[in-house]
Amino acid sequence: MDFSFNEEQRAWQQKAREFAKSEIRPISIQRDQIEGGFGPWDWEIIEKGSRLGFRTLAVPKEWGGPGTDFVTQTLVMMELAKGDSAICKAFSQNWKWSHLIASACNDDQKDRFLKSFISDDRYLIGRGITEPNAGCDNRLPPKDDPRSGYRLHAKRDGDFWILNGEKCFIANGSVGSLFFIDARTDASVDITRGGTLFLVPKDTPGFRIGKIFNKRGWRFYQNAELIFEDARVPHINVVGSIGTGSVKAGGGDTTGGDLFGDLELAANAVGVCDDAVEMAMEYADTHKRGGKYLIEHQLIQLNINEMNMLTEALRSFVMRVAWEHDQGKRSATGVLMVNYSTDVIQRVTKLNMEVHGVQGSRMNARVDKLVRDAMVWSHLAGDTVLRLKAVSKLDFPHAKSRNTEAKVTTSEAAE
Amino acid sequence: MFNLHLTAEQIEFRDTVRSFAMNEIRPLAIHPERLESFDKPLLRVLLDKASELGLRTLTLSEESGGVGADTMTSCIVFEELAAGDVDIAIMLGQTSLLGDLLFDSWMENDQKVSFLPQFIEDETFHLSCAGGIPEILNSWCYHGNLHEKPKAELTAVRESNEWIIDGSVSYVANAPIAELFIVMAETGSNGTGADGTIGLLVSRNTPGFTINASKNAVGESDINWRHGCGTGVEFNSCKVPLENQICKHEKTLVIGEHYSRQISLQTAAINLGLGRAAFDAAVEYAKIRRQGGRNIVEHQAIGKKIADMAIKLELASTIIWKAAWVADHPEAVADRSISDLPQHTIASIFTAEAVHEVTLIAAECFGAMGVMRDMPVQKYVNDGFMFLHSDINDITTRLPIAEKVVNYRRSKAA
Repeated sequence: MDFSFNEEQRAWQQKAREFAKSEIRPISIQRDQIEGGFGPWDWEIIEKGSRLGFRTLAVPKEWGGPGTDFVTQTLVMMELAKGDSAICKAFSQNWKWSHLIASACNDDQKDRFLKSFISDDRYLIGRGITEPNAGCDNRLPPKDDPRSGYRLHAKRDGDFWILNGEKCFIANGSVGSLFFIDARTDASVDITRGGTLFLVPKDTPGFRIGKIFNKRGWRFYQNAELIFEDARVPHINVVGSIGTGSVKAGGGDTTGGDLFGDLELAANAVGVCDDAVEMAMEYADTHKRGGKYLIEHQLIQLNINEMNMLTEALRSFVMRVAWEHDQGKRSATGVLMVNYSTDVIQRVTKLNMEVHGVQGSRMNARVDKLVRDAMVWSHLAGDTVLRLKAVSKLDFPHAKSRNTEAKVTTSEAAE
Repeated sequence: MFNLHLTAEQIEFRDTVRSFAMNEIRPLAIHPERLESFDKPLLRVLLDKASELGLRTLTLSEESGGVGADTMTSCIVFEELAAGDVDIAIMLGQTSLLGDLLFDSWMENDQKVSFLPQFIEDETFHLSCAGGIPEILNSWCYHGNLHEKPKAELTAVRESNEWIIDGSVSYVANAPIAELFIVMAETGSNGTGADGTIGLLVSRNTPGFTINASKNAVGESDINWRHGCGTGVEFNSCKVPLENQICKHEKTLVIGEHYSRQISLQTAAINLGLGRAAFDAAVEYAKIRRQGGRNIVEHQAIGKKIADMAIKLELASTIIWKAAWVADHPEAVADRSISDLPQHTIASIFTAEAVHEVTLIAAECFGAMGVMRDMPVQKYVNDGFMFLHSDINDITTRLPIAEKVVNYRRSKAA
């Protein structure tokens, strides 16, 4: 056992901490309170962060990135999220797909897309899997209904594929330059055999952005509809091979999904919890109720205890998984961790609200923001489904003898 | 005798308000522009329509021209109204309870003659109370003396035949819509002989009385956190005639236990209405949303959510009804049928927690749609948080129950 960080890890952590403190946090509430779906977005903070390396943090060294390990990425997310959970997510979303490019794309694709990604401070990446009628079904496809899951349709036309359909809630949708799009190349079989993954640049003819979603939490973070009307995508943009199931397009490596995706949400949650803990302790130490400082009240002490306890437990869990992922280990632990982070972030931000309470008719704006951001955890990547999926990854003693059906694994997290 | 039958009249009243709330209020209440928690418009037209059903004068006695509903009836009715829209229910509820307090108990006859006819006739006439609303500070002084005597926000000085009011209150519920204000002001020791809190009637347009424009809901450091409507008010040498003083015989006027109990029960009922709105929305969606090869209501995981919501709402309803019934039948406590614990506090806390959980579960049934601003369920979640952290419920609100359990008596010195 060794819990220490190396020089590089500490350096990135420090850099992220400073950026979060001096650049992200000062605009955090201000952006959050702008109404509308696109309104809260701000290119300036993205460009500033990009110049410091936070947009391209996960690009491998051989392709010109810093090639950081999972532990470093985790530390950076914890720091950025403490500044603002949604702004952190706008950066880390690109890491997820950097992992996917590195693991699933061929050299020609890497050459065409990674270079632009690295050189352009505004180049963001997204992935479109969710559709209005295909959410949970993309993650746990029902065995008895092969038609379920995404329906966006791709038809071959010479050197091109013609895509028709619609994606919704797609992260970075309104600001992305490149999207991984999951489409049906064979509608007669389920998505694990009839799905194919395509690379779709934003200027593809027939492809456009639809509605930009206006959310309760993570207001800065962009989610949009992607609309495909006879969109022409060249065959050279097919990731992996046709009909392997878009999820398995990368030859089984889905770092864009479970390995990094679980880590991403859970690490972000730690940052939010750290923020809440700090706020609660500062407030309790400086404000009085009933003639005593809040921290002198046992009820407040109990809250502060629980907030610290859960945050530290989550931090340990996340760091352990980051380390395991760096060793290439895969297990149910990652998804268990993200489920745990959902419970912890919501509990901790609520306890923070209890500590602050109401002042007259007003609530601390940041306390409220943390609660709203935390709520998002229950509503992305199919929360209940993730809890069920965790079970599907566990080894049951009698499963082999009982289960004659092929185990369907669709590991991904493309919110 | 334990009897949960409502009277035919109560059922009819409930059904009338229910259909009004479902057919007229809800469609407008869930319009996307009202779902943005930072700044939502008031539904003034619906507020006035609801007044016409008698809800503005619900608890005012029949002799005074009101409906004369008891606590139980008012809880049932306000729950229905709130299932349509919480803010409308809060605004009407405030006027209804203050009307009862003012016209049925605090006003003298000549005052009633001056103010009551207009209040009864004008469906847009609302009431508000500035200053002196008891805060929940007592619960922060568990098993101890009250340390914080709330500082007087308003002062009144008597000069010849007038009271002169000065000071400001940062938030006064119903202020934007009220025509008549009960102003609780401290007279202080200024040689006039009076020394305590007095109540004065102040009309909206009295010179020297300013109702601030509604405070911008959003701020860098804090945001609006109240249901209904409200804003700050200011008094600058605001003169009111001596005859506008209410309860002249009281040396110090306090908004008593009765009002506190009524407002916390009524708020619990409104809170419950919110829970029902969230529950209805989730059930409707679960019946039509198809994932996993079937409508999601057929999955165990969703079935559990729906059952859990139903359990929480039924229990909240049960404790509200019990507390309301006890409020209407104090003899049930006197003859030891029911414990003398503060049932209204128990009802209020339990409901706030239960409904908060219901709104979160309801939102979960919607998947990603659950956090979208144009979906009502995210507003229900926000409303649930506001009931849980309010001037009625906070982290310490339950402590007085424990004091009551051991019959702790606070010494008067504060």
